[in-house]
Amino acid sequence: MTSTKLTVSHAPFWHDGDSLFQMNLNIILALLPATIFGIIQFGAPALGVVALSISTAMFWEFAMNLISKKALTIGDLDSAVIGMIFGIMLPATSPWWFVVVGTFVAVVIGKMIFGGIGANPFNPALIGMAVLMLSWKVMFDFDAAYVNYDFGFTALAPLAALKFKGAAAIAGLFPWENLIMGKQVGAIGSTFGLGIILGGIYLILRGYIRWEICASFIIGILLTAFCFHQANPATYGGPLLHLFSGYTLLGAFFLSTENSSSPVNKIPMFLYGFFAGVMIILMRNIGAYSDGTVLAILLLNLVNPLLDAIRPKVLGKGANNA
Amino acid sequence: MIKRSFFSLSQPRLAYDLLEPDLKEPESIPVPAILSVLLPEPIDNTKQALIKKGDAVKKGEKLKLYDDSTAYTTSPVAGTIKLFDSYSDDFGNIATFITIKADPTQVSEANTINLPPMDDIKLADQFLRKLPGAPPFEILANDEIKITTIVITGTDTDLLSTTNQFVSLKYMDEVKEGAKILKKLTQVPKFCITIPENLDTKVSFDTIEVLKISNTYPSTLPAMIMKDHLNTVMSAGQTPEDSGICFIRAEALVSLARTYKTKKAVFDKVLTIISKNGTRHRIRATIGTPLSKIFARFNININEQDRIIIGGPMRGVATYTPHHPVLADMDTVIIQDRDIIPQLSDYPCVNCGKCIRICPANIPVNMLVRYLEVDQYENAADKFDLESCIDCGLCAYVCTARIPLHQYIRLGKHELLTLRADA
Repeated sequence: MTSTKLTVSHAPFWHDGDSLFQMNLNIILALLPATIFGIIQFGAPALGVVALSISTAMFWEFAMNLISKKALTIGDLDSAVIGMIFGIMLPATSPWWFVVVGTFVAVVIGKMIFGGIGANPFNPALIGMAVLMLSWKVMFDFDAAYVNYDFGFTALAPLAALKFKGAAAIAGLFPWENLIMGKQVGAIGSTFGLGIILGGIYLILRGYIRWEICASFIIGILLTAFCFHQANPATYGGPLLHLFSGYTLLGAFFLSTENSSSPVNKIPMFLYGFFAGVMIILMRNIGAYSDGTVLAILLLNLVNPLLDAIRPKVLGKGANNA
Repeated sequence: MIKRSFFSLSQPRLAYDLLEPDLKEPESIPVPAILSVLLPEPIDNTKQALIKKGDAVKKGEKLKLYDDSTAYTTSPVAGTIKLFDSYSDDFGNIATFITIKADPTQVSEANTINLPPMDDIKLADQFLRKLPGAPPFEILANDEIKITTIVITGTDTDLLSTTNQFVSLKYMDEVKEGAKILKKLTQVPKFCITIPENLDTKVSFDTIEVLKISNTYPSTLPAMIMKDHLNTVMSAGQTPEDSGICFIRAEALVSLARTYKTKKAVFDKVLTIISKNGTRHRIRATIGTPLSKIFARFNININEQDRIIIGGPMRGVATYTPHHPVLADMDTVIIQDRDIIPQLSDYPCVNCGKCIRICPANIPVNMLVRYLEVDQYENAADKFDLESCIDCGLCAYVCTARIPLHQYIRLGKHELLTLRADA
């Protein structure tokens, strides 16, 4: 008898070939149109911010792996995605220390101390963002950030202008075709709406993000903004202005869809996306911040476990025991 | 291996393979010199075994270990017992394998096979349990289980496999004949047969109701057939028999018909061998033939770290030896090259939701696996529906983090049963 050593394991013996590396690589690909546009628009400083953000985010994960004596996990590109999303949410003129502190909070506090990939209750990039926003609020004044730039369009951050001047004063300044084509002042990757939408649709088609969240998020934004606008058109901006400015589109396709902090069942996904959209408009129109995307999505991350308890009936059980 | 399609907004569709249009007779594999049969009972050293090394056995002779054993097997050839020893399966269940040296000069047959009269299922269970196709006589003969429907499976439960389709169409008359015999034996009122809905062949099974089954995996699994076609939902943790439904391979009926027709025990099992490059070989081999003999016939080389899968890619069992014998319930054998064996990982769940979308039983797999990873089997069953799993394996097939999800679930079910048995 020969003694050929065979591979023995349990079924299933096939896999569809997907992996975390593939998934994250695709998210990075999908972010590229908006990022490249931002780099062209805002020049070398934008490239510096994005590059530093990705590299330091990966470095923090690497350092945490070493300190906690765990296997190296940066190969799955998860912190590269965090770094990329974080980087493109910053103004192009952010100083280096700002980026480094931000990615430290995002990767170490937002992700690694919870146990790494899959264990984070909040979107790590948003944790980093929120801490920076609360600590150095002035850094996110996009009008001040680009004071030395000469753009060929209205160099006013739409949401800040809306907040402090009211919708009547800025009427006609921000036509939506300009906003979607990136003719607006904002963070590196948040201005080119068309690029974000294309990237988002690509990810939806590839099955890497869940369309239910994106769709209900956009509906939430449009519906709430429409109601406010109808109630008082002089104060509150229209739905399209809200949709195509600030972090809204990034939120719809890249922030709210972060895997481990968003629900996976059908009804919860719709609720989660919808209420995130609603919260954003409430924060913009009633709250103190000109763009509430970061905090609104973090708030919904908090509710996610409760929402996700709404489950479909399981085969062979009489009652839904959720 | 079917890979993920580029666009995968909707969940992947895994389709069953369809039978080839012209049905050739399977190629016969000659009876080898040495065969082994499995007896599902562990060896008990404190008792005096009824069989011993060197015993002469006749073809069709019933072999059992002890006087009070209920488990038995039958010898597929005339010869002598070479050895018998313990065999443990993938869950550590101990059985006994008996190796028999065939003696071609001897043609003596066991005094057959006192064919049970056609109305006594208990006697049938005493003699015919080991027919090719493994008829579930143990269940049918059990007075405590009331079976009202028998479903003949003319569809294959796993991908790539086409053996059941082949048998039910090629030997349609014998299936019908076998069903008649089974009806007399069991008095079960309702008989159904499952046939793939897009199979392009005329089928007529007289009084047997034909169920046309969709070709998307996992619609041929018992729980799905019951749900889609018999309006019966299998309760969590139960078997089809608990709902009065018994599944039987078409091949078991063919064997039954042949046994009653020839009044001799039959041991020819039809199976499909799928080699590394996907070539199918339909063969007919005597139960107990080592797989290595079949591989040698088709010049299939087995290298280190290859995988031999008994059954299909989603639900099969990997064996650790190429000398594994052909069994009565073995339909398909797949050889997977070591280069295409997918790597799994020990990553945690990232909550991407692909398993939730694809699970046919709506199990919250993402939550379930978190409990299974830390051995919380009772909680997993109470809160996250461990027992509703129908073992299709799709969750592990699609998992982005490459967690061995279904492996965890199978282990969880196994441990749960152990826990409950100990309690």
